[in-house]
Amino acid sequence: MAEEIRHIKDSPDSHLSFSQSSLKKSLIGYIPREKRAKVLVGLLGVIIFMLIGRLLFLQVVRGTHYSRISEENRIRLLTLPASRGIVKDRNGQVIATNRPSYTVFLIPYEVLEAFAENSSKKSTVKSGDLSSLVGKLALCLKLDAHSLEEKIRSNLTKSYQPIKLKKDVDFNTICVIEEQNEDLPGVIYQVEPARKYLDASWVGHVLGYVNELTKEELSKGVTQKGFRLGGVIGRKGIEKQYDDMLRGKDGVTFLEVTARGKILGPLDERKPDPPVSGSDVRLTIDCDLQAVAESALTDYMSATVVALDPRNGEILTLVSKPGLDANLFAGAMSLKEWNEILENPLHPLLTRPIQATYPPASTLKLLTAAIALETKIANQNTYLSPCRGSFRFGRRTFRCWRPEGHGRLNLEDAIIQSCNVYFYQLGLKVGLERWSRYAQRCRFGQKTGIDIPDETIGLVPTLEYYHERYGKGEWVKNLIINLAIGQGEILVTPLQLALFFSGLATDGKLFKPYLLKEVVAHDGRVTYTQPEEIGHLPFSSSTLKVLQEAMTGVVNDPHGTGVLAKIPDMVVAGKTGTAQNPHGEDHAWFVGYAPASDPQIVVVVLIENIGHGGTFAAPVAKKIIEKYLIKDLAQSQKDNNLEFGSH
Amino acid sequence: MIKFRSKEFDLTLVIVALILSIIGILLIYSAKLHSDNLIERGIYIKQIIWVLLGLSACALTFFIPLRFYDIFSYVLYFLSLLTLVLILMIGSSKMGASRWISVGGFNVQPAEFAKIATIFALARYLAYSKRSIYSFRWLASVVGMALLPALLILKQPDLGTSLVFFAILISMLLWSGVPLFYLFLIISPVISLICGFHPLSWALFFLILIMLLYRLKPTFIFSMGFLLLNLAFGTITPLVWNKLHHYQQQRIIVFLDPGRDPLGAGYQIIQSKIAIGSGGLVGKGYLQGSQTKLAFLPHQHTDFVFSVLGEEFGLLGGIILLGLFTFLIIKGILIAQKTRNTFASNVAIGLIAIIGFQMMVNIGMTLGVMPVTGLPLPFVSYGGSSMLLSWMLLGILVAINSRWYEY
Repeated sequence: MAEEIRHIKDSPDSHLSFSQSSLKKSLIGYIPREKRAKVLVGLLGVIIFMLIGRLLFLQVVRGTHYSRISEENRIRLLTLPASRGIVKDRNGQVIATNRPSYTVFLIPYEVLEAFAENSSKKSTVKSGDLSSLVGKLALCLKLDAHSLEEKIRSNLTKSYQPIKLKKDVDFNTICVIEEQNEDLPGVIYQVEPARKYLDASWVGHVLGYVNELTKEELSKGVTQKGFRLGGVIGRKGIEKQYDDMLRGKDGVTFLEVTARGKILGPLDERKPDPPVSGSDVRLTIDCDLQAVAESALTDYMSATVVALDPRNGEILTLVSKPGLDANLFAGAMSLKEWNEILENPLHPLLTRPIQATYPPASTLKLLTAAIALETKIANQNTYLSPCRGSFRFGRRTFRCWRPEGHGRLNLEDAIIQSCNVYFYQLGLKVGLERWSRYAQRCRFGQKTGIDIPDETIGLVPTLEYYHERYGKGEWVKNLIINLAIGQGEILVTPLQLALFFSGLATDGKLFKPYLLKEVVAHDGRVTYTQPEEIGHLPFSSSTLKVLQEAMTGVVNDPHGTGVLAKIPDMVVAGKTGTAQNPHGEDHAWFVGYAPASDPQIVVVVLIENIGHGGTFAAPVAKKIIEKYLIKDLAQSQKDNNLEFGSH
Repeated sequence: MIKFRSKEFDLTLVIVALILSIIGILLIYSAKLHSDNLIERGIYIKQIIWVLLGLSACALTFFIPLRFYDIFSYVLYFLSLLTLVLILMIGSSKMGASRWISVGGFNVQPAEFAKIATIFALARYLAYSKRSIYSFRWLASVVGMALLPALLILKQPDLGTSLVFFAILISMLLWSGVPLFYLFLIISPVISLICGFHPLSWALFFLILIMLLYRLKPTFIFSMGFLLLNLAFGTITPLVWNKLHHYQQQRIIVFLDPGRDPLGAGYQIIQSKIAIGSGGLVGKGYLQGSQTKLAFLPHQHTDFVFSVLGEEFGLLGGIILLGLFTFLIIKGILIAQKTRNTFASNVAIGLIAIIGFQMMVNIGMTLGVMPVTGLPLPFVSYGGSSMLLSWMLLGILVAINSRWYEY
C-alpha cells in the first residue's frame, strides 16, 4: 500500500492535531479508502433518487396533464363549415344562398422541397427561385409582390402549416392556378361556403349581411354558440335577427398531424362530427313587388316603401333608398368603399322604414278625425268655420296648403281635400291631452315589433313632454293645432304608419308586422309563423267606417288629393301627406290600401325632399297595388279556370 | 501471454452493457420508424454495427495489458491534446460546433478519446507523484492536467464534454483521498461563475468561502489562491457570458426558463417533458409513442433517446434503465475498491465517473432538470464515437476486474 504510506508520511501533522471537532476533521482530513467508496455510492444514490423523483413527478403527479398535451399535440381539428340557411321570398325565389369561396394557401415545406430538387444544396432556397414564384403568384392573385414575398419569407420554415395568401379568390384565378400547377409548387386552395345575395339594392336593408367575427366577439365567451375563428355572423336585418337559426352548426374532423403539421389522415379513435346546415327560411317579402317598388322609385334619391297585408301583418315590400349592396358587405370591402358609405349625406346605412322618423303630416289627420268621431266631438257631417286659406289663433296665423281656401267643408270632405284649417279647429276641440293619449293607443311612439333589429320608436309629444321641454305653463296651447295635421314634434316611422293604416283599413285589428314566413329545418321540419294580434285601434267600427269612406274619397273623389293612385278596375283608398321640411323640399307621403271593400294590401310611400304627396308618392303606391292585386287577380282567375277544367 | 484466473472473468458487466445497447437499438428503431427519409429509418442498422464494433473494441481493450496504459499514459495524453488542437484548426463544423473528424467515412469525435487518455494520465500522476496532496503545486498540476483538454474542447465549443473532465477530476481526486474541503475549493470557482449572474448571492457565497477558509486554515497560498480565483470568476461572469456562443447562451437561458421560448430553444425541453410525462406508469407501449412517432422531438435518437423510453415504457422502463446504470456504476466502484494496483484503481474510478456523469446530465436534461448540453447517454444513444468509447472503457473495466490482484 505504497499510496497510503506516502500520504501518512506526507500529511502535515499540524492539520490533524489542531483540529478539534470531527466535522473539521472530516472536511479537511485525508479520506481513508473505505470511506471514499461510501462517499461515491452516496453521491450516486442522491443522483438516482433525484432522477426517479423527477420521473415520478412528471409521469405520475403530472401524468394526466402531459397526456392531454400530448393528445392535443398530435390532433388537429379541421372545421367542416356548416352551410348557412337559404333565404327565399314568399314565392320561393332565392334571395340569399351560398357560393364556394376559394382561399389560396402556400405550404412552405413543399416549396422548399421543390427548390431543393432544383439546386444541389438541400433546404436552402435561392432567392431567385422564390422571387420568381412570388412574381407569378402576385400576378395571379393581384397582390403586391413585395409584401407577398415578405409574408412568405417570414413563414418559410420547414413546416406543413399552410400560409394564407388570399381570401375569396375568384374562380378564374383558381383555374389559372390549376393550369400552372407545375410552376407553382406548394400552392393549394380550399373551398368554403360564402354568402351570395340576390343582386338588388334592397337586400342589404331587409336581409342585412354577414361578415367575419371580430377577435373581441370571439373572446367574449361566445364559444358556446359555436363561433370559430374565421366564422361569420349576421350583422343586420334578417341575418342578424335569425342568426342562430341560419348559422347551423359547424362540424369537425379530427386529423392526426406530425410535428411539422403534415396531415397523416383522419384519427381512427374519434369519429368526425358532421356539420349541420342552417335552417332554410322563407320570407313574407315578394321579390317582384320589391322590384316594382324599386323601379317606381328610380328617379328619387332617398325614399322608402312599406307594403303589408293588413289581415295578418305579413310584410310584402320593404324598400329603403339609397340601397345597400349586401354582397359588398359580405365580401372584402375596402376602407375607401366603407368611408364612402359612411360619408354619404343620404345615410345609406339607415333602414328608413324602421329606423327613420318623419312628421306624418296630413296622413295623421285621420287620427284627429277618428278621435273626434269616437268622442262624439264631431260626426261625418259636422261643419266648422269655412277655410279661407288660413287660420288665426291668438297672434299666429296657420296656413292651409291651398292658399285660396277650401270653403265650407264637412269632416268627410275635409279629409278628402285634406283641409288644414278644418283640422286646426278640430284639433283644438280634441285637445292635446286626449290627442296624445289616443296617439299612443294607436301604437305610435313604440316599436311595432317587426322581426328585424334596431327599430326606432319615433315620438308622441305628451303634456309631460312639453312640461319637460318648455317648463310647466310656459308652452302654448296652439301646439295641438300643428299636431292635429301631423306636423310639429310628432315623429313616426313609415312602418308605424303602415300599422296604423292597416287597422284603419280593416276592422281595427293590429297584427304584428313580420318578415319570417316559415322555417325549414335541416331535417325537413317546417315551422310557420302564426300572425300575432297585438292590439286594436281604440275606435268603433262606425268610426272606422266613416274614415274608410273618406279615404276612398281621397283617391276616387274628383276633388281628392290622391287621385293619382286610382286604378280602373279596383277601388283604392288612402291618404296623402306633405311633410314640411325646414331643410329643403317637403317629404311626400302616401298611404293607400286596396281593395277598399276587403283590403289585402296597405302601402306606405315616402319620398324625401320632393314635394306634394299626392303628386309624387301616390303614383308609386298605385304601381305597387296594381302589381300586387292584378297579379293576384290573374292568379285567382287561373285557379278558377283550373277548377272549371277539372269539372 | 496474458494470465488471469478464469473465475475472475466477470461477464455481468458486459451483459448489463449489452442489455443497455439493445434497449438503445430498440429505441432508435422506434424513434425513426416513421421518418420520411429511408436512410434515417434504417439508422438502427448502423447502430447495430456500432454495437458490434464496440464489442470488438471492448475485447481489444480487455486484452491490452494494464501496464501498457500505465507506461504510455502520458504519450496518449499528449497525442490526444495534439488531436484536439488539430481539430480546432481543421475539424468539420456541424451545427455551429467543430467537434468531428472524418476517418474513412466515419465521423469520429476525438474528445471522446481524450477523456480516456486524460484518465490514464491523471491516474498515473495521482498514483506515482511524490508530492503531498496538501501541496498547492500538486493540486495545481492535477487540476491543470484535467483542465487543459477541457478548455480545448470548450473552445470547439462543447460545454457538455468539457464538464465531463471536471467530473473525472473531482471523482479521481476524491479517490486519491483529497479532503472534501479541498474538493469544495476546486469546485468553488465554478459556483462563483454561476452565482456571478446574481451579485447578491455571489457576495453571500464569497462570504461563506472566507469564513470557511478562516475556520479551517489551510496554507496561506491555498487561501489566497482560491480567494483570488473566486473573486476573478465571480466578477468576470458577465464577460464570460458574452464570450459564450449564442446557442450556449440560449441553452442556459432556456434551461432556466423553458416556457420563455416554447417554439425555439425551449421546444426540445418542453416536448421531451411532454413525451416522458405522457408515458405515465407503464408507457404507451413499444412503437406506440405519439410524440415519438410524429417527430415532435428533434434529436430523439441521439441526445433525447431517454424520452422515447419514458414515453413508450413509462416510469417502469425509466426505473429499469436507471437500475441497470446503477448496477454498472456500483460494480465499477467495487472493482476500483478491490483493485490492488493504485493506477488501475484510479482508472476504474475515472471511467465510472464518465458513465455516471453522462447518465446524470443526459437523463436530467430530458427531464428538464439539467441544461441541454448534448451529452449522449452511454451505450444507449445513437452515435459511433460514444458507443465505441463506452465499450472501450467497459473493456478496460473488465480487464481491471479480472486482474485486480496484480500490483
